[in-house]
Amino acid sequence: MTLKYLRNKVVEVEPRPDGNLTVSWRLTDDLLKAEVQLIVQPPELEIIKTEARLERYPPRSCREASERIKRVEGISIGSGLRKILAGLLGGADGCSILMDAVLECSNAVILHFTRPGIEAGENITDPDEKLAATREGIKSNPRLIRSCISFQDDSPIMKGLNL
Amino acid sequence: MISFQRSQVVGAEFLDDNTIRFNGIQEDHIYGMEISLEVRIDDGKIMKIHGNMKRYTNFVCPRAVSVLQTAVGLSFRESGWDKQVMREIGRKGCEHFAEIVIECGRCLDSAVLSRDLARALKDNPGLNQEEYLSSRQR
Repeated sequence: MTLKYLRNKVVEVEPRPDGNLTVSWRLTDDLLKAEVQLIVQPPELEIIKTEARLERYPPRSCREASERIKRVEGISIGSGLRKILAGLLGGADGCSILMDAVLECSNAVILHFTRPGIEAGENITDPDEKLAATREGIKSNPRLIRSCISFQDDSPIMKGLNL
Repeated sequence: MISFQRSQVVGAEFLDDNTIRFNGIQEDHIYGMEISLEVRIDDGKIMKIHGNMKRYTNFVCPRAVSVLQTAVGLSFRESGWDKQVMREIGRKGCEHFAEIVIECGRCLDSAVLSRDLARALKDNPGLNQEEYLSSRQR
């Protein structure tokens, strides 16, 4: 059976020589072509520069995307971001495509920082040591607690941790 | 050099006039997952779902596959559906499965519109596509 609709999305994080991160987000489907680029400055993860371009047939509410994206310059990736973005890009006349793009870029930045720790854990072959390392990771990153099935109270990983 | 990259691909098959099957794939440097779900177009309800977890980070993650069944009956047309998916499929199961389901939900209206535009173009190859899409109040 042929497809009547296909969507491709890519988000990528690339460290720059100046220490900042370039985050590129692209979406293409049968009706829309969209690109967002953010420059993010560690350690505060402040969004210091933005660009957006929506082509093909963007929804009416997104036709001023290249100006609207500028509203997020100066905000930082961290807790409360979803609420801040809802105020800046969401609402009845908002552009949900831009809001989703910035949230997905922010998530990619977090995963950029997460990846080295996960790769280090792959070098541990002993299952008990691996479990202990995972538990230490949870203690140092409490936002993981109850964030998914692995870190719910009844998970074997959480047994005895009393977090 | 790229330090993190994620790709999402969602394809839509129309099984009949009122049923779409979405096939969603998410691959990134850390995780690899797939979801297939069938949606009733008129009310946006998920009728069937299954998932495949290919790459994950710990031995508990695959338990999230069975949690996917709680999505059956959920509607992509209900207010706050995306938050409900993240709560029921993400928090109680796997956040990355939830991300694929949410992307499929976001594609529902565009997929239907895309099908309808293709049909309209078949009937009228000279159709003004922009006007047609504007008339559908996007």
